Amino acid sequence: MIPLLGLLAGIVLGLVLEPSIPQALQPYLPIAIVAAMDALFGAFRAYLEGNFNDRVFVVSFISNVLIAAAIVYVGDQIGVGSQLSTGVVVVLGIRIFTNAAAIRRALFHA
Amino acid sequence: MKTPGAMSERAERHVGPTEPPAAERPSRNRAVDASMDLLNQIIRHPVDPDYALVAQRGGTPPRLRWGLALVAVLIGAMFAVSALQTTRTAPALAVERTELISRVQAAETQQDELRARATSLSTEIAKLRAAGLGTDDQAELLEAQINTLDPVVGNVAVTGPGLVITVDDAAGADQQGAGNDVRDRVLDIDLQSMVNGLWLAGAEAVAINGHRLSTLTAIRGAGDAITVDYRSLTRPYRVEAIGDSKTLQAHYVESAGGAWWNELKQNRQMRYEISSAKEITLSADPGMVLRYAKRASR
Repeated sequence: MIPLLGLLAGIVLGLVLEPSIPQALQPYLPIAIVAAMDALFGAFRAYLEGNFNDRVFVVSFISNVLIAAAIVYVGDQIGVGSQLSTGVVVVLGIRIFTNAAAIRRALFHA
Repeated sequence: MKTPGAMSERAERHVGPTEPPAAERPSRNRAVDASMDLLNQIIRHPVDPDYALVAQRGGTPPRLRWGLALVAVLIGAMFAVSALQTTRTAPALAVERTELISRVQAAETQQDELRARATSLSTEIAKLRAAGLGTDDQAELLEAQINTLDPVVGNVAVTGPGLVITVDDAAGADQQGAGNDVRDRVLDIDLQSMVNGLWLAGAEAVAINGHRLSTLTAIRGAGDAITVDYRSLTRPYRVEAIGDSKTLQAHYVESAGGAWWNELKQNRQMRYEISSAKEITLSADPGMVLRYAKRASR
Protein backbone atom coordinates (compact mmCIF):
# COMPACT_ATOMS: atom_id res chain seq x y z
CA MET A 1 0.00 0.00 0.00
CA ILE A 2 2.72 2.42 0.97
CA PRO A 3 4.64 2.05 -2.32
CA LEU A 4 1.53 2.52 -4.47
CA LEU A 5 0.48 5.63 -2.56
CA GLY A 6 4.05 6.88 -2.71
CA LEU A 7 4.22 6.34 -6.47
CA LEU A 8 0.98 8.22 -7.03
CA ALA A 9 2.09 11.01 -4.72
CA GLY A 10 5.39 11.21 -6.57
CA ILE A 11 3.71 11.42 -9.97
CA VAL A 12 1.34 14.13 -8.75
CA LEU A 13 4.19 16.02 -7.11
CA GLY A 14 6.28 15.83 -10.27
CA LEU A 15 3.39 17.03 -12.44
CA VAL A 16 2.42 19.85 -10.10
CA LEU A 17 5.80 21.13 -9.00
CA GLU A 18 7.56 20.53 -12.34
CA PRO A 19 11.03 20.51 -10.82
CA SER A 20 13.76 21.25 -13.33
CA ILE A 21 16.59 18.76 -13.51
CA PRO A 22 20.08 20.25 -13.73
CA GLN A 23 21.51 19.99 -17.22
CA ALA A 24 24.42 17.85 -16.03
CA LEU A 25 22.10 15.20 -14.59
CA GLN A 26 19.72 14.99 -17.55
CA PRO A 27 21.47 12.16 -19.44
CA TYR A 28 21.21 9.96 -16.35
CA LEU A 29 17.46 10.37 -15.81
CA PRO A 30 16.37 7.72 -18.37
CA ILE A 31 18.93 5.25 -17.05
CA ALA A 32 17.83 5.96 -13.48
CA ILE A 33 14.22 5.33 -14.53
CA VAL A 34 15.09 1.98 -16.10
CA ALA A 35 17.02 1.01 -12.96
CA ALA A 36 14.05 2.10 -10.86
CA MET A 37 11.68 0.00 -12.97
CA ASP A 38 13.99 -2.96 -12.50
CA ALA A 39 13.96 -2.42 -8.73
CA LEU A 40 10.16 -2.08 -8.74
CA PHE A 41 9.55 -5.28 -10.68
CA GLY A 42 12.08 -7.16 -8.57
CA ALA A 43 10.42 -5.89 -5.40
CA PHE A 44 6.96 -6.87 -6.60
CA ARG A 45 8.16 -10.34 -7.43
CA ALA A 46 9.80 -10.67 -4.05
CA TYR A 47 6.56 -9.44 -2.47
CA LEU A 48 4.59 -12.14 -4.31
CA GLU A 49 7.13 -14.72 -3.19
CA GLY A 50 6.66 -13.54 0.34
CA ASN A 51 10.15 -12.31 1.14
CA PHE A 52 9.86 -8.63 0.39
CA ASN A 53 11.81 -6.39 2.70
CA ASP A 54 11.66 -2.64 2.40
CA ARG A 55 15.18 -2.11 3.67
CA VAL A 56 16.59 -4.38 0.97
CA PHE A 57 14.44 -2.58 -1.58
CA VAL A 58 15.65 0.88 -0.60
CA VAL A 59 19.28 -0.15 -0.55
CA SER A 60 19.09 -2.09 -3.83
CA PHE A 61 17.22 0.74 -5.55
CA ILE A 62 19.69 3.40 -4.50
CA SER A 63 22.73 1.29 -5.29
CA ASN A 64 21.34 0.19 -8.69
CA VAL A 65 20.53 3.74 -9.74
CA LEU A 66 23.93 4.98 -8.59
CA ILE A 67 25.81 2.16 -10.32
CA ALA A 68 23.85 2.58 -13.56
CA ALA A 69 24.52 6.32 -13.53
CA ALA A 70 28.18 5.71 -12.71
CA ILE A 71 28.55 3.28 -15.62
CA VAL A 72 27.05 5.83 -17.98
CA TYR A 73 29.18 8.60 -16.51
CA VAL A 74 32.38 6.60 -16.94
CA GLY A 75 31.26 5.72 -20.47
CA ASP A 76 30.74 9.41 -21.21
CA GLN A 77 34.24 10.16 -19.99
CA ILE A 78 35.85 7.52 -22.21
CA GLY A 79 33.64 8.20 -25.20
CA VAL A 80 31.34 5.17 -25.22
CA GLY A 81 28.53 6.61 -23.13
CA SER A 82 25.71 5.77 -25.52
CA GLN A 83 26.96 2.20 -26.00
CA LEU A 84 27.26 1.64 -22.27
CA SER A 85 23.80 3.05 -21.62
CA THR A 86 22.48 0.67 -24.28
CA GLY A 87 24.22 -2.14 -22.42
CA VAL A 88 22.69 -1.10 -19.11
CA VAL A 89 19.23 -0.88 -20.69
CA VAL A 90 19.63 -4.32 -22.28
CA VAL A 91 20.70 -6.01 -19.05
CA LEU A 92 18.05 -4.30 -16.93
CA GLY A 93 15.49 -4.92 -19.66
CA ILE A 94 16.15 -8.66 -19.60
CA ARG A 95 15.71 -8.64 -15.83
CA ILE A 96 12.49 -6.65 -16.09
CA PHE A 97 11.05 -9.08 -18.62
CA THR A 98 12.05 -12.12 -16.57
CA ASN A 99 10.51 -10.61 -13.45
CA ALA A 100 7.39 -9.59 -15.31
CA ALA A 101 6.99 -13.17 -16.55
CA ALA A 102 7.35 -14.49 -13.00
CA ILE A 103 4.85 -11.94 -11.71
CA ARG A 104 2.43 -12.92 -14.44
CA ARG A 105 2.77 -16.57 -13.52
CA ALA A 106 2.23 -15.84 -9.85
CA LEU A 107 -0.78 -13.58 -10.40
CA PHE A 108 -2.66 -15.34 -13.17
CA HIS A 109 -1.19 -18.84 -12.93
CA ALA A 110 -0.53 -18.62 -16.65
CA MET B 1 48.05 -25.29 0.94
CA LYS B 2 47.90 -28.94 1.68
CA THR B 3 44.49 -29.72 0.29
CA PRO B 4 43.83 -33.07 -1.33
CA GLY B 5 43.36 -31.31 -4.68
CA ALA B 6 46.77 -29.75 -4.50
CA MET B 7 48.26 -33.03 -3.49
CA SER B 8 46.79 -34.93 -6.38
CA GLU B 9 47.83 -32.13 -8.70
CA ARG B 10 51.38 -32.44 -7.51
CA ALA B 11 51.21 -36.22 -7.94
CA GLU B 12 49.89 -35.87 -11.46
CA ARG B 13 52.55 -33.40 -12.36
CA HIS B 14 55.11 -35.77 -11.03
CA VAL B 15 53.82 -38.60 -13.18
CA GLY B 16 53.51 -36.64 -16.41
CA PRO B 17 55.62 -33.50 -16.50
CA THR B 18 54.51 -32.62 -20.06
CA GLU B 19 50.82 -32.45 -19.09
CA PRO B 20 49.43 -29.08 -18.16
CA PRO B 21 48.48 -28.65 -14.49
CA ALA B 22 44.99 -29.78 -13.63
CA ALA B 23 43.78 -26.28 -12.88
CA GLU B 24 44.46 -25.13 -16.43
CA ARG B 25 42.68 -27.99 -18.09
CA PRO B 26 38.95 -27.60 -18.67
CA SER B 27 37.18 -29.71 -16.12
CA ARG B 28 34.94 -32.40 -17.48
CA ASN B 29 31.81 -31.43 -15.55
CA ARG B 30 31.86 -27.89 -16.88
CA ALA B 31 28.50 -26.63 -18.12
CA VAL B 32 28.02 -26.66 -21.87
CA ASP B 33 26.84 -23.06 -21.92
CA ALA B 34 29.49 -21.74 -19.57
CA SER B 35 30.53 -19.20 -22.16
CA MET B 36 27.09 -17.56 -21.88
CA ASP B 37 27.34 -17.30 -18.12
CA LEU B 38 26.51 -13.61 -18.00
CA LEU B 39 23.16 -13.98 -19.76
CA ASN B 40 22.32 -17.05 -17.69
CA GLN B 41 23.07 -15.21 -14.52
CA ILE B 42 20.87 -12.30 -15.52
CA ILE B 43 17.98 -14.60 -16.35
CA ARG B 44 18.37 -16.88 -13.33
CA HIS B 45 18.78 -14.20 -10.71
CA PRO B 46 16.51 -11.38 -11.77
CA VAL B 47 15.55 -10.57 -8.18
CA ASP B 48 18.08 -9.03 -5.87
CA PRO B 49 19.52 -12.07 -3.97
CA ASP B 50 19.42 -10.07 -0.75
CA TYR B 51 15.67 -10.58 -0.48
CA ALA B 52 16.20 -14.31 -0.16
CA LEU B 53 19.17 -13.83 2.15
CA VAL B 54 17.28 -11.63 4.59
CA ALA B 55 14.27 -13.96 4.49
CA GLN B 56 16.54 -16.92 5.22
CA ARG B 57 18.09 -15.20 8.18
CA GLY B 58 14.74 -15.47 9.91
CA GLY B 59 13.43 -13.42 12.79
CA THR B 60 11.97 -9.99 12.19
CA PRO B 61 14.20 -8.21 9.72
CA PRO B 62 14.81 -4.50 10.25
CA ARG B 63 12.17 -2.36 8.56
CA LEU B 64 12.58 0.91 6.76
CA ARG B 65 9.04 2.12 6.09
CA TRP B 66 9.92 5.76 5.65
CA GLY B 67 12.68 4.92 3.28
CA LEU B 68 10.29 2.83 1.22
CA ALA B 69 7.77 5.67 1.01
CA LEU B 70 10.49 8.15 0.14
CA VAL B 71 11.88 5.95 -2.63
CA ALA B 72 8.38 5.35 -4.02
CA VAL B 73 7.74 9.10 -4.13
CA LEU B 74 11.11 9.59 -5.78
CA ILE B 75 10.41 6.99 -8.48
CA GLY B 76 6.99 8.48 -9.20
CA ALA B 77 8.48 11.95 -9.45
CA MET B 78 11.17 10.68 -11.81
CA PHE B 79 8.56 9.18 -14.14
CA ALA B 80 6.50 12.35 -14.10
CA VAL B 81 9.42 14.69 -14.66
CA SER B 82 10.86 12.62 -17.46
CA ALA B 83 7.51 12.33 -19.26
CA LEU B 84 6.90 16.04 -18.80
CA GLN B 85 10.29 16.93 -20.20
CA THR B 86 9.92 14.74 -23.26
CA THR B 87 6.45 15.97 -24.12
CA ARG B 88 7.46 19.55 -23.57
CA THR B 89 10.64 19.47 -25.65
CA ALA B 90 8.99 17.79 -28.66
CA PRO B 91 7.05 20.85 -29.90
CA ALA B 92 10.02 23.05 -29.03
CA LEU B 93 12.22 20.94 -31.30
CA ALA B 94 9.68 21.18 -34.13
CA VAL B 95 9.50 24.95 -33.71
CA GLU B 96 13.28 25.16 -33.76
CA ARG B 97 13.39 23.15 -36.97
CA THR B 98 10.83 25.27 -38.82
CA GLU B 99 12.61 28.37 -37.62
CA LEU B 100 15.91 27.08 -38.98
CA ILE B 101 14.28 26.28 -42.32
CA SER B 102 12.79 29.74 -42.58
CA ARG B 103 16.15 31.26 -41.68
CA VAL B 104 17.84 29.25 -44.43
CA GLN B 105 15.22 30.39 -46.91
CA ALA B 106 15.58 34.01 -45.85
CA ALA B 107 19.35 33.77 -46.22
CA GLU B 108 18.94 32.31 -49.70
CA THR B 109 16.66 35.10 -50.87
CA GLN B 110 19.06 37.62 -49.37
CA GLN B 111 21.88 35.96 -51.26
CA ASP B 112 19.93 36.21 -54.50
CA GLU B 113 19.25 39.88 -53.88
CA LEU B 114 22.90 40.53 -53.12
CA ARG B 115 23.98 38.75 -56.28
CA ALA B 116 21.57 40.79 -58.37
CA ARG B 117 22.88 43.92 -56.72
CA ALA B 118 26.47 42.86 -57.37
CA THR B 119 25.67 42.39 -61.04
CA SER B 120 24.01 45.79 -61.36
CA LEU B 121 26.87 47.41 -59.46
CA SER B 122 29.46 45.87 -61.73
CA THR B 123 27.68 47.21 -64.80
CA GLU B 124 27.69 50.58 -63.12
CA ILE B 125 31.40 50.19 -62.44
CA ALA B 126 31.97 49.46 -66.09
CA LYS B 127 30.06 52.60 -67.08
CA LEU B 128 31.88 54.80 -64.59
CA ARG B 129 35.19 53.31 -65.66
CA ALA B 130 34.46 54.13 -69.27
CA ALA B 131 33.55 57.66 -68.28
CA GLY B 132 36.59 58.04 -66.07
CA LEU B 133 39.05 56.73 -68.61
CA GLY B 134 38.24 59.53 -71.01
CA THR B 135 39.01 59.38 -74.67
CA ASP B 136 42.77 59.57 -75.13
CA ASP B 137 44.71 56.82 -76.91
CA GLN B 138 45.87 54.98 -73.81
CA ALA B 139 42.37 54.96 -72.39
CA GLU B 140 40.99 53.50 -75.57
CA LEU B 141 43.65 50.80 -75.52
CA LEU B 142 42.74 49.91 -71.93
CA GLU B 143 39.05 49.92 -72.78
CA ALA B 144 39.71 47.55 -75.66
CA GLN B 145 41.69 45.25 -73.37
CA ILE B 146 38.93 45.26 -70.82
CA ASN B 147 36.36 44.54 -73.50
CA THR B 148 38.34 41.53 -74.70
CA LEU B 149 39.13 40.12 -71.30
CA ASP B 150 35.80 40.63 -69.52
CA PRO B 151 33.82 38.07 -71.54
CA VAL B 152 36.65 35.56 -71.31
CA VAL B 153 36.86 35.58 -67.53
CA GLY B 154 33.09 35.65 -67.11
CA ASN B 155 32.77 39.15 -65.76
CA VAL B 156 30.07 40.23 -68.21
CA ALA B 157 27.12 38.54 -69.85
CA VAL B 158 27.92 37.03 -73.24
CA THR B 159 25.87 35.81 -76.17
CA GLY B 160 26.59 33.58 -79.11
CA PRO B 161 25.92 30.25 -80.79
CA GLY B 162 26.58 27.04 -78.93
CA LEU B 163 25.36 23.83 -77.36
CA VAL B 164 22.67 23.07 -74.82
CA ILE B 165 23.09 19.78 -72.97
CA THR B 166 20.33 18.59 -70.67
CA VAL B 167 21.08 15.73 -68.28
CA ASP B 168 19.13 14.13 -65.46
CA ASP B 169 19.23 11.16 -63.11
CA ALA B 170 18.15 7.80 -64.46
CA ALA B 171 14.44 7.14 -64.09
CA GLY B 172 13.64 5.73 -60.67
CA ALA B 173 16.96 6.79 -59.16
CA ASP B 174 15.22 8.98 -56.60
CA GLN B 175 13.02 6.17 -55.38
CA GLN B 176 13.91 4.78 -52.01
CA GLY B 177 14.40 1.08 -51.58
CA ALA B 178 16.20 -1.85 -53.08
CA GLY B 179 17.82 -1.41 -56.45
CA ASN B 180 18.37 2.26 -55.82
CA ASP B 181 21.94 2.90 -56.85
CA VAL B 182 23.64 6.17 -56.11
CA ARG B 183 25.53 5.74 -59.36
CA ASP B 184 22.25 6.10 -61.25
CA ARG B 185 22.23 9.75 -60.25
CA VAL B 186 24.15 12.61 -61.74
CA LEU B 187 27.12 13.28 -59.50
CA ASP B 188 29.36 16.30 -59.24
CA ILE B 189 32.15 14.43 -61.00
CA ASP B 190 29.85 13.81 -64.00
CA LEU B 191 29.18 17.51 -64.40
CA GLN B 192 32.86 18.27 -63.85
CA SER B 193 33.95 15.93 -66.64
CA MET B 194 31.26 17.29 -68.94
CA VAL B 195 32.40 20.87 -68.36
CA ASN B 196 36.03 19.90 -68.80
CA GLY B 197 35.10 18.23 -72.08
CA LEU B 198 33.32 21.38 -73.19
CA TRP B 199 36.33 23.59 -72.38
CA LEU B 200 38.54 21.11 -74.20
CA ALA B 201 36.24 21.23 -77.22
CA GLY B 202 36.70 24.95 -77.46
CA ALA B 203 33.83 26.37 -75.46
CA GLU B 204 34.33 30.02 -74.64
CA ALA B 205 31.70 30.37 -71.93
CA VAL B 206 29.85 27.71 -69.96
CA ALA B 207 26.94 27.92 -67.55
CA ILE B 208 25.12 25.24 -65.52
CA ASN B 209 21.46 25.93 -64.74
CA GLY B 210 22.17 29.59 -65.41
CA HIS B 211 25.24 29.83 -63.18
CA ARG B 212 28.11 31.07 -65.28
CA LEU B 213 31.35 29.21 -64.75
CA SER B 214 34.59 31.09 -64.29
CA THR B 215 38.05 30.09 -63.20
CA LEU B 216 36.90 30.51 -59.60
CA THR B 217 33.80 28.34 -59.86
CA ALA B 218 33.69 25.08 -57.96
CA ILE B 219 31.38 22.23 -58.97
CA ARG B 220 31.03 19.94 -56.06
CA GLY B 221 28.63 17.68 -54.25
CA ALA B 222 27.24 18.76 -50.90
CA GLY B 223 25.04 16.14 -49.33
CA ASP B 224 22.49 15.08 -51.90
CA ALA B 225 22.80 18.16 -54.08
CA ILE B 226 25.39 19.40 -56.53
CA THR B 227 26.52 22.95 -55.92
CA VAL B 228 27.94 25.36 -58.43
CA ASP B 229 29.46 28.47 -56.95
CA TYR B 230 28.21 27.15 -53.59
CA ARG B 231 24.59 27.30 -54.76
CA SER B 232 22.67 24.05 -54.89
CA LEU B 233 21.21 22.97 -58.21
CA THR B 234 17.90 21.29 -58.81
CA ARG B 235 17.36 18.59 -61.41
CA PRO B 236 17.44 18.47 -64.40
CA TYR B 237 20.83 19.97 -65.11
CA ARG B 238 21.06 22.24 -68.13
CA VAL B 239 24.57 22.98 -69.32
CA GLU B 240 24.99 25.73 -71.90
CA ALA B 241 28.21 26.40 -73.74
CA ILE B 242 29.08 29.06 -76.30
CA GLY B 243 31.54 28.14 -78.98
CA ASP B 244 32.03 27.42 -82.67
CA SER B 245 28.74 25.85 -83.75
CA LYS B 246 30.47 23.83 -86.46
CA THR B 247 33.08 22.09 -84.34
CA LEU B 248 32.00 22.37 -80.69
CA GLN B 249 29.62 19.42 -80.64
CA ALA B 250 31.89 17.07 -82.58
CA HIS B 251 34.91 17.91 -80.47
CA TYR B 252 32.93 17.59 -77.26
CA VAL B 253 31.61 14.15 -78.17
CA GLU B 254 35.16 13.00 -78.89
CA SER B 255 36.54 14.36 -75.63
CA ALA B 256 36.89 12.38 -72.41
CA GLY B 257 33.83 14.11 -70.99
CA GLY B 258 31.74 13.13 -74.02
CA ALA B 259 32.89 9.51 -73.77
CA TRP B 260 32.13 9.53 -70.04
CA TRP B 261 28.60 10.72 -70.64
CA ASN B 262 28.01 8.30 -73.53
CA GLU B 263 28.83 5.52 -71.14
CA LEU B 264 26.56 6.95 -68.45
CA LYS B 265 23.71 7.16 -70.93
CA GLN B 266 24.20 3.62 -72.20
CA ASN B 267 24.95 1.83 -68.94
CA ARG B 268 22.97 3.89 -66.46
CA GLN B 269 20.09 5.06 -68.66
CA MET B 270 20.56 8.67 -67.63
CA ARG B 271 18.85 11.38 -69.59
CA TYR B 272 21.41 13.02 -71.87
CA GLU B 273 20.33 15.33 -74.66
CA ILE B 274 22.58 17.52 -76.78
CA SER B 275 21.15 20.18 -79.03
CA SER B 276 22.79 23.09 -80.76
CA ALA B 277 21.40 26.58 -80.37
CA LYS B 278 21.76 29.56 -82.64
CA GLU B 279 22.01 32.02 -79.83
CA ILE B 280 22.55 31.54 -76.12
CA THR B 281 22.92 34.32 -73.60
CA LEU B 282 24.91 33.56 -70.49
CA SER B 283 24.80 35.95 -67.57
CA ALA B 284 27.89 37.25 -65.81
CA ASP B 285 29.37 35.49 -62.81
CA PRO B 286 28.78 37.92 -59.96
CA GLY B 287 31.29 36.18 -57.75
CA MET B 288 34.34 37.31 -59.69
CA VAL B 289 36.19 38.97 -56.86
CA LEU B 290 39.83 38.49 -56.04
CA ARG B 291 40.38 38.91 -52.34
CA TYR B 292 44.02 37.92 -52.03
CA ALA B 293 45.57 37.96 -55.49
CA LYS B 294 46.80 41.38 -56.65
CA ARG B 295 48.26 42.55 -59.89
CA ALA B 296 52.01 42.04 -59.75
CA SER B 297 53.96 45.32 -60.11
CA ARG B 298 55.41 45.63 -63.55
